[in-house]
Amino acid sequence: MNESYKIISSSILFWFSQKKWFVYSILVSIFLLNLSTPIGLSIPAYHSLIILVLVFMLVTFEPIPFPAIALLTLVLQVVLGVAPPDQVASSFMNDAVLFVMGSLMFAIAIVHQGLDIRLARFIVFIFGKSKRMFLAGLMSISAILSSFLGEHTVIAIMLPIGLSVIKNIDTQQTDGKNAVLITLFSIAYGTIIGSIGTPSGGARNVIMINYLQEFSNVHIDYWKWMKHAYPILIIQLIVAYFVLQFAFPSSLKNIKMRGYKKNVENRSIKKDINHLFSCLIIIAIIASWFTFNDIYGLGIIALGGALTFMIFGMITWEEINKNTNWGVILLFAATISLGFQINETGASSWLVIKFNELLNSLPSNSMNVSWSIMAILSGLTANFFTSSATVSLIGPMAIELHPTDISFALSSAIASGFSFLTVISSPTAMIIYSTGLVSTKVFFRVGILMFIISILILYLMSQFYWVTL
Amino acid sequence: MKILIAIGGKEFSKPTLDLGMKIANSFKSSTTIAYVGKKISQFSEKDVSVVHQNLDDRQLYRPGIRTLEWAYDFLISKKYIEETDTNKFDDYLLVDEENSRMKVLLKEQHSDNIDLIMRTGEIIEQLKDEVEVNKHDITIIGGGGNKGIHNKLIQFIDSAVFVVKNYSVSKKYKILLPVNDSKGSEKAIDTAINFAKSYKLTVEIVAVYENKKSHEKTDKLLLRTKNKFLKNKINASTKILEGSTVNAIVDHAKDDSIIILGVSPKNPIMKYFFGSKPISIAQKCNCPVLITK
Repeated sequence: MNESYKIISSSILFWFSQKKWFVYSILVSIFLLNLSTPIGLSIPAYHSLIILVLVFMLVTFEPIPFPAIALLTLVLQVVLGVAPPDQVASSFMNDAVLFVMGSLMFAIAIVHQGLDIRLARFIVFIFGKSKRMFLAGLMSISAILSSFLGEHTVIAIMLPIGLSVIKNIDTQQTDGKNAVLITLFSIAYGTIIGSIGTPSGGARNVIMINYLQEFSNVHIDYWKWMKHAYPILIIQLIVAYFVLQFAFPSSLKNIKMRGYKKNVENRSIKKDINHLFSCLIIIAIIASWFTFNDIYGLGIIALGGALTFMIFGMITWEEINKNTNWGVILLFAATISLGFQINETGASSWLVIKFNELLNSLPSNSMNVSWSIMAILSGLTANFFTSSATVSLIGPMAIELHPTDISFALSSAIASGFSFLTVISSPTAMIIYSTGLVSTKVFFRVGILMFIISILILYLMSQFYWVTL
Repeated sequence: MKILIAIGGKEFSKPTLDLGMKIANSFKSSTTIAYVGKKISQFSEKDVSVVHQNLDDRQLYRPGIRTLEWAYDFLISKKYIEETDTNKFDDYLLVDEENSRMKVLLKEQHSDNIDLIMRTGEIIEQLKDEVEVNKHDITIIGGGGNKGIHNKLIQFIDSAVFVVKNYSVSKKYKILLPVNDSKGSEKAIDTAINFAKSYKLTVEIVAVYENKKSHEKTDKLLLRTKNKFLKNKINASTKILEGSTVNAIVDHAKDDSIIILGVSPKNPIMKYFFGSKPISIAQKCNCPVLITK
C-alpha cells in the first residue's frame, strides 16, 4: 500500500479519534437543522436552541479548545440568523464578563503574594487548640474567603496549607488515609460552599444578577444576595463538617498542624510590607463591592484590584497574562451572548411553556415541583458542565419560569454552586483531584450525600426564610 | 536506540519498569521514563497550573513527582543507577518544556542515559507527541487498565509498542515469533534476533496454516526464518499451527512467552474500525507482546 496514503489516513484517523465528539456534535446539529421548526418557535429561536445543544456537547466533551467553541458560538449566531452581527457583538461584553476577567486576574495577583504562609499561622493561632478545631477552622476560613474572593483564589492559597499538614501521613493505613481525605475535603467543601455566599464568590452569581437586571428589571445588590445566601452557607458548613467526620472517621493523630512552618521562607521587611499592602487592597476591593457595586459594577471593581497590584509592581503583566485562562473568559462571554439571544428570540419562553405543559401532565403540579425540578436540574447540569456555563445557558429559563419571583433565579444560581458530585464541576474539585490523593469515586460517594442535603437546605430556606426578607 | 517507558501507579508499574530497563541496558539505549498525569478540564487547567507552581515554591511535591521519585528509587534498588550518598531525589528541579512536558532534573544525577519526565493530558496524545518529538524506537507500557489504550497506541504511535502483561522477574522467558510473508513480519524477525541475542533467549517460530493452498510457501518461510536465527547462533525451533491465526497463536502462547509480532499491513481505516490480528493477539494474550513497526 502506498506509504503516503497510509500516513495521511492514519493522521486523519488520529484526528477523528481525538475529535470524534466534535464530529458527532456537528452531525447532531445538522440533523436538528434539517428537522422542521417546532410549532410556536421562530426559526432564529430554534437555531439558538440548536447552538445551545452544540455548545453543551462541545463544552462537556472538550474535543476542541474553549476559544474555538466561543468563536464558533459567535459565528453560528450570525450565520444561522439568530441575531445580526452588531447585536451579537454588543451582547458579547458586559459586567459579568468583565467580572470573570477581573476576578481571574485579581486571583492570580493575590496568590502571587504568598499570603498562605501568614494565613496558616493565623489558622493555627485561632483554631490550633485541637486537630478537629483546626479542620473546622480550615473549612470556615476557606468558606469565608471563598465567598468574597472566589473558589480559584482560595483553593490555590489553602491547598499548600492542607498538603503541608498531611505530607508525612502513611495513606496505606485507613486511619491515615481518612486523615488525608478529611483535610483535603474540609478545604474543598469550605471553598465550594463559600462560593455561594456573595455575588463575587463565583461568576455564576454575577451572571444571574446581570440576567435578572436585563430580563426582569430586578436589581439585586451585594447585601441583598448575602442576606439570601449567607445563612444557607453557614448551615451547609455545619452539615459538611459532620458529613466529613462521618465519611472519614480518623483519629487525626498524624496531622501536623505546624508542619507548614518548616516550609516557611525567611521573613523580610519587604515581604511584610507587601503582605500588608496586599491585605489592604483586598479589603478595599471587598469594601468597594459592598458600597460601590451599584455605581461601578462588580467587574470594574475586580479589574481595579488587579490594576492596583500591577501599578504598584506587586505582579507583572507577564505573570498575569501567563496564568489567566483567556479561553474561559472568551467562552463565558460567548455563552452569555447566547443566553441573551435565547431570551431575545423567545426560545426561553417556549421552553418554559413546554416545561409547564410537562408539569401539568404530572399528578401533582405546584410551584414546589417546578422549583424542585429547576433547582435539581441546575445542580446536576452544573456538575457535568461547570456552574458558570450552566447559569449562563439555563439562567434565562429559570428567570422565565417566574420572572417576578427572584427565588427561582437565586435558587438556580445557588444550586449550580453545589459542585459536590464530579471533579470537573469546579476548579476546586479539579485541583483536589489533580493531587492524586482523591479519586472520582470517593468524591462522588461523599458528594451525593452533600448534594442531596444541600438541595434540601436550599428548599427549606427558600420556603421559610426568604419569604421573611 | 531510544526507549520510552510509560509508568502509572506505583504498584502496577514495577514489571514495566523492570523489563523496560533490562531492555534499555542490554541495548545500551537512552531511556525516558514518563509519567502522564490526569487530563485537566480546560476550565481549570490554569488554576491547577498556578496551584502546582505554588506547591513547588513551598517544596511540597506536586502530583506525579512522587511516582517518579518511586521509579528513581526503584532504579537505584535494582542497580540500574549507581547508588551514592548524594544521588537522592530530595533536590530536584522541574524544567517546564513545551507541549505539557516537564523534565525532572536531579542535582546529583549521574546517568545521562535516563530522563524523568512528566506530561499532563490525554495519554495517547501525550505519548504520541513524546515519541514524535524525541524519536523513540520502542514505547513500553503496562498491560493493565483500559485495553483501548493499547489498541490506540499500536495504531497511532510511530514506534514499536511493548505491552508488558503478566511479567514476572523470576520467570525464564522464550520468544514466540509468529511469521508470515508481510513486511511487518520481516521487521519482527530482525527485532527478535536482537532480543534473543541480548538475553540469550530461545525462539519458537510459528506459522499458521489458514488455508490448504499456502502450505509450501509457509514451510519455506519457516525454514528461511529458522536459518536466520541459526546463523546468529540462536537456539530456534519451528512449529505449524492450524486454525484462525489469532486463536491459534493465543492458544499456543504460554505465560512464559514474549510474543514479537510485526504490525499489520492492513489499511489504517480498516484497522481502526475492525482491528487487526496483532491488535487482537495483544489484547487476548496473557503475556508480554511486542509489536514492531
